[in-house]
Amino acid sequence: MRGGAIPILAWGTILLVLAVGNWVWNDRVVGSGAASAAVLIIYGFGVAVWLARRREALRRGPPEPRTEPESVPQASLAAVGIGVSAGCALFGLAWAKFLLDFGIALFIVSVGRLVLELRAERASRRAARGESERA
Amino acid sequence: MTGWLGAVTSTDHKRIGLTLGVCSLFYFLLGGVFALLMRTQLAQSNMQFVSDNSYNELFTMHGSTMIYLFVTPMAIAMAIYLVPLQIGATRLSAPRLCLAGMWTWLCGGLVMQQGWFASGGAGRTGWSSYAPLSNGTNTPGVGQDLWVVGVILAAAGMLVMAACVVATVARRRAPGMSLLRMPVFTWTALVSMLMVVGAFPMLVVVMVLLYIDRHGGHIFTGFEGAIDYQDLFWFFGHPVVYVMFFPYLGAAAEAIAVNAHKRWFGYIAFVASIMAFAALSMAVWSHHMYVTGGVTNQYFAFTSTALLVPAGIEYFDMIGTLIGGSIVLRTSMLFALAFFLQFLIGGLSGIFVASPVLDYQAYGTYIIVAHFHYTLFAGSIFGFFAGVYHWFPKITGAVLRERLGKLQLLVMVVGTNMTFFPMFFLGNDGMPRRVSRYPTHPGWGTLNEIETIGAGVIALGVLTFLINVFVSLRRRVPAGDDPWLGHTLEWATTSPPPPLNFEAPLPPIRSYAPLLDLREAEMDRARRPAEVPAS
Repeated sequence: MRGGAIPILAWGTILLVLAVGNWVWNDRVVGSGAASAAVLIIYGFGVAVWLARRREALRRGPPEPRTEPESVPQASLAAVGIGVSAGCALFGLAWAKFLLDFGIALFIVSVGRLVLELRAERASRRAARGESERA
Repeated sequence: MTGWLGAVTSTDHKRIGLTLGVCSLFYFLLGGVFALLMRTQLAQSNMQFVSDNSYNELFTMHGSTMIYLFVTPMAIAMAIYLVPLQIGATRLSAPRLCLAGMWTWLCGGLVMQQGWFASGGAGRTGWSSYAPLSNGTNTPGVGQDLWVVGVILAAAGMLVMAACVVATVARRRAPGMSLLRMPVFTWTALVSMLMVVGAFPMLVVVMVLLYIDRHGGHIFTGFEGAIDYQDLFWFFGHPVVYVMFFPYLGAAAEAIAVNAHKRWFGYIAFVASIMAFAALSMAVWSHHMYVTGGVTNQYFAFTSTALLVPAGIEYFDMIGTLIGGSIVLRTSMLFALAFFLQFLIGGLSGIFVASPVLDYQAYGTYIIVAHFHYTLFAGSIFGFFAGVYHWFPKITGAVLRERLGKLQLLVMVVGTNMTFFPMFFLGNDGMPRRVSRYPTHPGWGTLNEIETIGAGVIALGVLTFLINVFVSLRRRVPAGDDPWLGHTLEWATTSPPPPLNFEAPLPPIRSYAPLLDLREAEMDRARRPAEVPAS
């Protein structure tokens, strides 16, 4: 049984053993509905992972070498803008009200910049793929 | 982009990790100053060094700064810097997201500290800010709002950064690097980051609810409301204790294995133990609430005590690594050993407070303060320094001075135990925590004076570290690529590593210590008798 199911099923089992152990010790079931639901959800997830073990995403063993060219961003003003805009907007919400508008405006500008960055990245990846195909 | 703009917008995981680490260190110094002010106030009974309200602000901001702005983000910083190197990845997954998370966290810290400039002062209801104490009626003022908003931002930022580390491990491991060939530090970082992903959304949610509650939402009202707040908060609040422990445990483990010139003992059991630790830690949160009468104490006592099993395995593995090793007592090794020894005091006192009957006695006293400072300061911070002395050459290309490092260790061990050990006696004698003044009581004055002197000694230790960093960067002793004969892939690249981490091809990865494998194979070849050509 591979593909990540073991730790999930083990986790469910640990919770089950603890709940049963407590029942024996305490002579009272602890939140029986919540405990059973938690164990069932974890087991269900574990079984789903086990059944999906043949899917490519849940690979066995070490990863394969990458062959596709990928673009590596060196810097991103957009990411900094998004982080700072969140800070400004919430700071404005709590205290300096004008920063709320500034934060929202900065967020919109940063998302626009992010779109440009992602488009440039996609274009450079396409160009690199074209070059490697020509070669 | 070049210059300072290039530095602050860089998506290189090393730059992000370093910026996050340096900012966290700044917050550590700030939190340390708050602690020194508190200890000065407590040096003698009925001191008037700061007002009662200022003392409330100080202990709140000390705890919040240390937990939300230093120990947790520093663990994430180490993961961001080291995990891609250790798994042979050229970069982090979703680096833009990680950078945005870093800036969100940084803004969160700044917003939280802005409370000092607000009328009524900064947040003053403790790092856990229990409702209804923290609601708009009982704690009015902008400072508390800024604290709530700061926590939301910091937690959201850390959540995003942790998700990037998890994605990197899932998607960017080098060929040959299966999960059970990942280094010990990477495993501890991965499990920590998974816990951040699992637990931090709860913190964001509870803080948003608290903000709404403070502004007329009436969410946490009555007895049930108070219990609900604590349930939600501690569902984040206990796993974060292990988030603040695992990466430093991993750093100490790497330092011990390399300085013992031996593979980490019991690797599979160690991996299983930290996974069990993580799973159990999501089921122990209500041991913080035994005295409320609103939780099932036996169950949480059971799960809390069960944590001893994985913890025991980690100590067993550490001892197993040391036995038969060729041990070199470098500063990183000494800090790692101090980490394990001092954390033991925190862990053993944890067994007592995991028991409801003993916790009824200890709750709200200095025993609790001593317990968690032995786990977080005497434990995690010593693990952090083990990691700093171990990886500083890789990050900067220069070695930290060993003599200054050993002096720092000595000063910090003395200071730490002077500060936190007397707290057990004070707590046992009934001295409550979170009070700015205490009555004249036999022995309390002396023990508090010792603690205050100890806090000053810790500050001297930290100052020694800062001097060491300054001297070592100013008069550099070049480290070379692999000064300690490391076991893991980060030592296979240059110091500091190039932009895409590895210029030369990676060595074959056949275990969790690929460089040690190479050296052992070379030694085997050297031991073999020379082949005589057939005549």
